[in-house]
Amino acid sequence: MTGAGVAVLVVLVALLLGTGFLLGRRTARPVRPSDVGTPVEHATFETLHTASLAAPPLRAGLTEESARRSARRLRSLLGTDALCLTDRERVLVWDGAGHHHGKDVMGHIEELLEGGRGTAFDSGCADLDCPLRWAVAVPLTVENRVLGALVAYAPRESAVLARAAGEVARWVCVQLELAELDRSRTQLIEAEIKALRAQISPHFIFNSLAAIASFVRTDPEQARELLLEFADFTRYSFRRHGEFTTLADELHSIDQYLALVRARFGKRLSVTLQVAPEVLPVALPFLCLQPLVENAVKHGLEGASTPPREQPADTSFRITISALDAGSEAEVVIEDNGSGMDPDRLRRILRGEATTSTGIGLLNVDERLRQVYGDGYGLVIETGIGAGMKITLRLPKYRAGVHGS
Amino acid sequence: MSTPDHTASWVAVALVVLATVLVGGFGLRISRTTSDFYVASRTVRPRLNAAAISGEYLSAASFLGVAGLVLLHGPDMLWYPVGYTAGYLVLLVFVAAPLRRSGAYTLPDFAEGRLESLHVRRLVSILVVGAGWLYLVPQLQGAGLTLKILTGAPGWLGDVLVATVVMVAVAAGGMRSITFVQVFQYWLKLTALLVPALFLVLAWQGDGRPRVSFDDQFAVFRADHPLYATYGLIVATFLGTMGLPHVVVRFYTSPNGRDARRTTVAVLALVGLFYLLPPIYGALGRLYAPELRHGGDADAAVLLLPARVIGGLGGDLLGALIAGGAFAAFLSTASGLTMAVAGVITQDVLPSRGVRHFRLATVLAIAVPLAGSLLVSRVPVADAVGMAFAVSASSFCPLLVLGIWWRRLTPPGAIAGLLLGGGSALLAVAITVSGAVTPPGWPHALLAWPAVWSVPVGFLAMILVSLATPGRIPPGTNAAMTRFHLPEALTSARGAGRER
Amino acid sequence: MSPETAPRREVVTGEPRRVRPLPRYRTQAEIEEQTALGGAYVRSLMRSQLRAGLTVFAVLALVAGTLPLLFAALNSAALVWAVLGFATYPPLTLAAWWYVRRAERNERDFARLVEGRPTP
Repeated sequence: MTGAGVAVLVVLVALLLGTGFLLGRRTARPVRPSDVGTPVEHATFETLHTASLAAPPLRAGLTEESARRSARRLRSLLGTDALCLTDRERVLVWDGAGHHHGKDVMGHIEELLEGGRGTAFDSGCADLDCPLRWAVAVPLTVENRVLGALVAYAPRESAVLARAAGEVARWVCVQLELAELDRSRTQLIEAEIKALRAQISPHFIFNSLAAIASFVRTDPEQARELLLEFADFTRYSFRRHGEFTTLADELHSIDQYLALVRARFGKRLSVTLQVAPEVLPVALPFLCLQPLVENAVKHGLEGASTPPREQPADTSFRITISALDAGSEAEVVIEDNGSGMDPDRLRRILRGEATTSTGIGLLNVDERLRQVYGDGYGLVIETGIGAGMKITLRLPKYRAGVHGS
Repeated sequence: MSTPDHTASWVAVALVVLATVLVGGFGLRISRTTSDFYVASRTVRPRLNAAAISGEYLSAASFLGVAGLVLLHGPDMLWYPVGYTAGYLVLLVFVAAPLRRSGAYTLPDFAEGRLESLHVRRLVSILVVGAGWLYLVPQLQGAGLTLKILTGAPGWLGDVLVATVVMVAVAAGGMRSITFVQVFQYWLKLTALLVPALFLVLAWQGDGRPRVSFDDQFAVFRADHPLYATYGLIVATFLGTMGLPHVVVRFYTSPNGRDARRTTVAVLALVGLFYLLPPIYGALGRLYAPELRHGGDADAAVLLLPARVIGGLGGDLLGALIAGGAFAAFLSTASGLTMAVAGVITQDVLPSRGVRHFRLATVLAIAVPLAGSLLVSRVPVADAVGMAFAVSASSFCPLLVLGIWWRRLTPPGAIAGLLLGGGSALLAVAITVSGAVTPPGWPHALLAWPAVWSVPVGFLAMILVSLATPGRIPPGTNAAMTRFHLPEALTSARGAGRER
Repeated sequence: MSPETAPRREVVTGEPRRVRPLPRYRTQAEIEEQTALGGAYVRSLMRSQLRAGLTVFAVLALVAGTLPLLFAALNSAALVWAVLGFATYPPLTLAAWWYVRRAERNERDFARLVEGRPTP
């Protein structure tokens, strides 16, 4: 071999390598990035889209319904012929061909449900052309508990599928964890209601009983009446069932509350009501108005520096409660002429930054209204120092899932 | 033709409009401002609510249309008022209490709550708006006619006037469907027909009781298939009442299902009482205003009779009373419907909510039927209302009845039934109104009275498609059924037990 | 409110939380309530109410279905006028009244039945 020959060979190899490198770069990443996306990008988008479509049902937790709704999307994510989702007891849904295989799935994954480790198995199908001869099973876990399994089938052993199934299962787990979070948020609200109920009690119970006691000698009949009101009021506030009530019931409880307040403050408190009978059946979150009235009373009467009995009788405190019909909504307004509140302080309270216990009622009501009806339905409060306070609530006459009684 | 003095009528109309707006605007403030919780939280009693429902329900079709049709086509037309009344019996036995217990304020609410599907909700909303518009057109046309008879003003003026009054009043919040206003409207309408009727009958007796002949026109029914048309009418009105948007909305006012039932019985009695009167006008109209049979304005019979039969100042005053009653009919029904339609538009059609959107929706809710009433040829008032009933009967009736009594109803089934039943009825009505198919022959009869076939189509589609999609039964079905049917005494007894 | 205090008020609202509202269909709790009460009980109540309703409806349908044929056969306008104009309304109201009594009795019977059962 001559030197020239070697040189030509070297040059040729170098050329080949160079072209190959350039070609490879070109196909891997176009010199000019496409504005409408490359096939790879499109595939990614499609995958993300399918995944996003499968997500909402799973946010309800792992049930037959949610499994059924998401299974088809999950299967198209994996591109398998059949896919099944199980909980700890049974097959929740079977999507795709070969239903008859469903009956022995639970047997195959028994160990998986115990140990929480993924597994693969031969479906043991006698038919050699069966597309479901091999399966990979991945556990669905939330906080280290195995809720169920995802089983994907293939005609033959496939590492790609095993990997893909693992990734999809992990994604499903995240959704299920979010579902758990939703559930705990609901529980949190319930706990808050309970806390609110508890919060009314000690202070108020003490004052009420003291007021009632003062009547026992002077006016036994009045004391008896008040005790009955007290019993009714606490029974309503501490009732255990139901997250919602009706406007009529809530007004009734406010009445009892105010009767007890009046026992302490006598004629200095005057109440004006304007209630359209059409909105009395409106369903609303339980104990949504009473804390607002209580807040008004606290600011108007108890917040005053002089002790109540020594204040001049003519400084009357007035609360106006109106509930009017506004088409498909009811509009409730609670207004008082009390000492009002610094708007900035109120803003802090509504942001949840307040340190004192006052106004917790306002924050709680605001939060619950937004939770139930959406962000557009929070409290609207008009106030200023010494300017009283006007609280406006809008309540939709109907919202799916909100039922009084 | 004696020209009656219109001043009295004008005053009466103005008074009715004014009283309606004032009672609506200030009635609540006067009657319900109190410091007594017991008074403030008193719910509407069944009888009061019944008068309110009747007040909103008795429309121009009842006040003017029935008498006009009897005059024109003979007593077979009395199936209209019978159907308008019997519709409440069907509503009572299948729908009243469960609908109230469902907590729904509108039909879309009911559909969403029962089927847990926003698709069904939207479709129902569209149909509610469609049926509401169909029902509004004749109200406006009736107003136009009344004003024309009273003043000789061009026909379109009354349409625009009533539409404007309703739009302004509803948007400004002055004429919300407040119970007391509607109660007032009922008694006004009853009085406005009853008092003149007494005088008319007396005058007729003074005339030596001439015999009213129905026989000459008995055979001339406006359809070439009278029996079919009668059945179409019966089906539409008997089954359509339960779906009328302004009727459904008023049931929300009842405090519970039991009261909703009792309210319905009272409505039956009150509406029945009212409907004893229009036949008298129809019969007397044949006697004293026979020329109306050949003109197009038979609906005016009620308005013209006092001047014809009694004349003089008495006739003018009675005529004024009737004019006032007629306007009460237009205003109450039109405002109730506009409220209901605008409510649905704000909730389900316009993007976000708020007072401004409600006003925009109000404009939309009345402007479209106004355009319709001006553009479309004048169909007799009662006929046009009958078409709205047909649409309601073939869409909302299956939805309500199956939704309340059948556990296997699914969202796809409901959508299929609404589209095939309600959609085909709507289409048939549209073709009829457009005048594309003219009377002689079966095609016209089938399209003008679609209920006979569209109601079964609606029911069948709903049932069959539901059976074909058993997997789509909403998970909350059993809970919904329990809520619909369980008496309140039980549900609240489990709770507070506040009774002493 | 007194006029001099009104202008010093400011409008305050909470900040949007941007939380997803709770799911619109929370049937879980309701289903528990439902099973606690017993689906069978509710179904029996529904059947009895439906029977009462269908009875009235059947009578109504029968009458309304045959009357037009009868009128066509008799061909007497005065009869039609009398029957449809006046005679139908009292029976309609009576039928409604009967149904309400029947339905309320059904509900009372049901309440007795439920309250008498052993607590779940």
